[in-house]
Amino acid sequence: MLRAAILALCVLALAGVPLLGDEVLIQYGIDALLFATLAQAWNILGGFTGYVSFGNSSFYGLGVYGTAIAMAQLHWPFGVGLAVGAALAVGCAVLFGIPILRLRGHYFAIATLGLSATLAAIIANIDIAGKNIGLILPLTRADAAFYEEALLLLIAATATVAWIAKSRFGAALLAIREDEDAALVMGINTTRYKIAALTLSAFFTAIAGGIHAYWITFVDPGGAFDLTLNVRMVIMAMFGGPGTVFGPLLGAFILSAVYDVLASSISTAAALLFGLVIVLAVIFMPRGLWDLAGGFRRSGARYLLQNIRAHRL
Amino acid sequence: MSDIPLLEARALTKRFRGLHAIERVSFVLRRGEMLGLIGPNGAGKTTLVNVISGTLPADSGKLFFEGAPIDHLPPYERAHLGIGRTFQVMKPFPRLTVLENVAVGALFGYHGGEHDLKVAREQARALLDFTGLMHRADQQADQLGGPDRKRLELAKALALKPKLLLLDEVMAGLNPAEIDDVVGVVKKIRDAGTSILVIEHVMRAIRSLSDRIIVLHHGEMLAEGEPNAILGDERVIEAYLGKRRA
Amino acid sequence: MSEALLSAAGVSAGYGAAPVLFGIDLEVGQGEIVALVGSNGAGKTTLLRAISRLIAAEGSIRFAGHDLLALRPEQVFALGLVQVPEGRQLFPRMSVEENLRMGGFRRSDAEIARSFARVYAIFPILAERRDQWAGNLSGGEQQMCALGRALMAEPKLLMVDEMSLGLAPVIVDQLLTVLADIRKAGVTVLLVEQDVFAAFSVADRSYVLETGHIVRHGRVAELERDPALRKAYLGVA
Repeated sequence: MLRAAILALCVLALAGVPLLGDEVLIQYGIDALLFATLAQAWNILGGFTGYVSFGNSSFYGLGVYGTAIAMAQLHWPFGVGLAVGAALAVGCAVLFGIPILRLRGHYFAIATLGLSATLAAIIANIDIAGKNIGLILPLTRADAAFYEEALLLLIAATATVAWIAKSRFGAALLAIREDEDAALVMGINTTRYKIAALTLSAFFTAIAGGIHAYWITFVDPGGAFDLTLNVRMVIMAMFGGPGTVFGPLLGAFILSAVYDVLASSISTAAALLFGLVIVLAVIFMPRGLWDLAGGFRRSGARYLLQNIRAHRL
Repeated sequence: MSDIPLLEARALTKRFRGLHAIERVSFVLRRGEMLGLIGPNGAGKTTLVNVISGTLPADSGKLFFEGAPIDHLPPYERAHLGIGRTFQVMKPFPRLTVLENVAVGALFGYHGGEHDLKVAREQARALLDFTGLMHRADQQADQLGGPDRKRLELAKALALKPKLLLLDEVMAGLNPAEIDDVVGVVKKIRDAGTSILVIEHVMRAIRSLSDRIIVLHHGEMLAEGEPNAILGDERVIEAYLGKRRA
Repeated sequence: MSEALLSAAGVSAGYGAAPVLFGIDLEVGQGEIVALVGSNGAGKTTLLRAISRLIAAEGSIRFAGHDLLALRPEQVFALGLVQVPEGRQLFPRMSVEENLRMGGFRRSDAEIARSFARVYAIFPILAERRDQWAGNLSGGEQQMCALGRALMAEPKLLMVDEMSLGLAPVIVDQLLTVLADIRKAGVTVLLVEQDVFAAFSVADRSYVLETGHIVRHGRVAELERDPALRKAYLGVA
């Protein structure tokens, strides 16, 4: 009961941010919320199923372009645009998922890397997508609307992950992550579950892309299919705690804040220091922030020492 | 009482890049039977188990379970039919608890498994009790020591409610008294209605656990019959047993 | 009475916060084959790792007149105390010959050539398969390769951990014969084994390890007749 109350309070607090009227804060909030959704969506395939995807930026880009084309070229409303983007991403997930998910480990990661670059190249050659010039979406409304939509999306994504964590579906994903061969002989149709995970991941990623597209009103292939986005998703999810419900949220909020603070105060060295933060995180809390909190509760400072010793530092 | 054997293999063949792993292997396993499978390393025993469980496809030959062909079924569908196996190199789900490991089998096993998490957990608990792992129910599987890992491997396979259990060298690394313990457990499993194919190097276990024995050598069936006949067979002694244990 | 080749006194060791061995006393004399038997998890491999200095330990461990406790694993190896680990631990994608060569890592080319001749004489099948990847060998052949690799270091004392694991009885017998042969050639052997019958068929003396303590030791002929031991380890009345 207490946990539910705390959760409700957090949601209300977050929802109330636009009321403060601070433009900069709202913009940071939208960014952070969208990133949190991306990290959470990645978490479904990467954290729970154990398939490290560098192809989520493809789904993001498809969400961006689906929405942009629908709104800028076809003059359809925002909701329909989002649906188009999501449909494109889900279609791509099923189409490419079937062959790519046969690969494991590094090979899967490399194959997904190729996907984003390929899609960017394709889009850059399609007229209706505005080719390399990009597209401009209709004028936007107040930031507050985007903020609340991003928050709603994050809640939906997190609720989905929470369901996964406690469901039979989630048990299959975890089994696949821990040992796919054993999962197969224990009756799990691994292909079916992997594609389902990929599709869920693609769906939320695409919607986040659509919201972002309408918010900044300009899209181009480079920005939409940007691989560094995927890298940031991975880092946030791993930093916060892959395979947990709240880990990726924690990772996204904290790292967004860290990056913003570093960028504004020590802008040139920001990237360097950010990298340092990540390295330290990998050494001291390899299983993420969420595990750190649990580890601290269990064995105190020894948790950190065990991790150091494990790396023979 | 049906006369159809539980498992029938006809001329199963599997080759790896020119090497004949198993060559025209045919045998029958009857309901309620414990069939022992022995043979030197590289004889094809684990390959045969992989073909039966669906982990590897055979190159030719036919495989029947309860009279129906299963050659083209993927491993998870064979689990749904009631074929369970242990792995020689044990494969627990490392970061799941012991209970969760076994629950996975209950959730996805026989006929697609249970859909209710609570029911699956109850079944898992019962199996932990049976295999003597209750006190480790909430420990992470990768923290278990050797003998407990074996028990877990067994419990996971049993969670599938198998009609046919493939035991791949479960006795490895146990001393004679421990072997007798595990033999007792396996007999209880058979008494509860599961037929068993036992692959072993440990003669002490094979002697107690086999109604019949088949011997593989260089991928082919060398001999098949009652334990005493097999263990006294000159060819088997030469290829596999050695004089000391005859 | 001359000092034993290997002597451990009051050795305690463990992993992190979990102690495994409690005050072990053990001796292996020059030219002996000594067996170490016990249940799974009793601490047999832990003891070997403590002697090889792969893990921290307390007490006294002396080998060929040297105090081992202050040494690092490579120094212990250099003194001629070589372990054949459980599960063989070969380099699967290196050839048999390359694996064997790794055993002779620290020696001169002439010495290595002599060792190769010796190892291939003991294990003709390794000569046949010298260019094959170690990972493609059968279990028995891998165990021979692991033993061969250890012999390439010209050890004074060989510590063999669970040699019979997963091997056909006829192969185990061959390996036991090899151990008897290399003992005749002057190599002392400490044999850790689950298969008590196999161990007793070739060893002179044996120690019995139970949850970190040595509970019995003596000549194999005597131990075989001990009723308590027969029940616990040989599983016979």
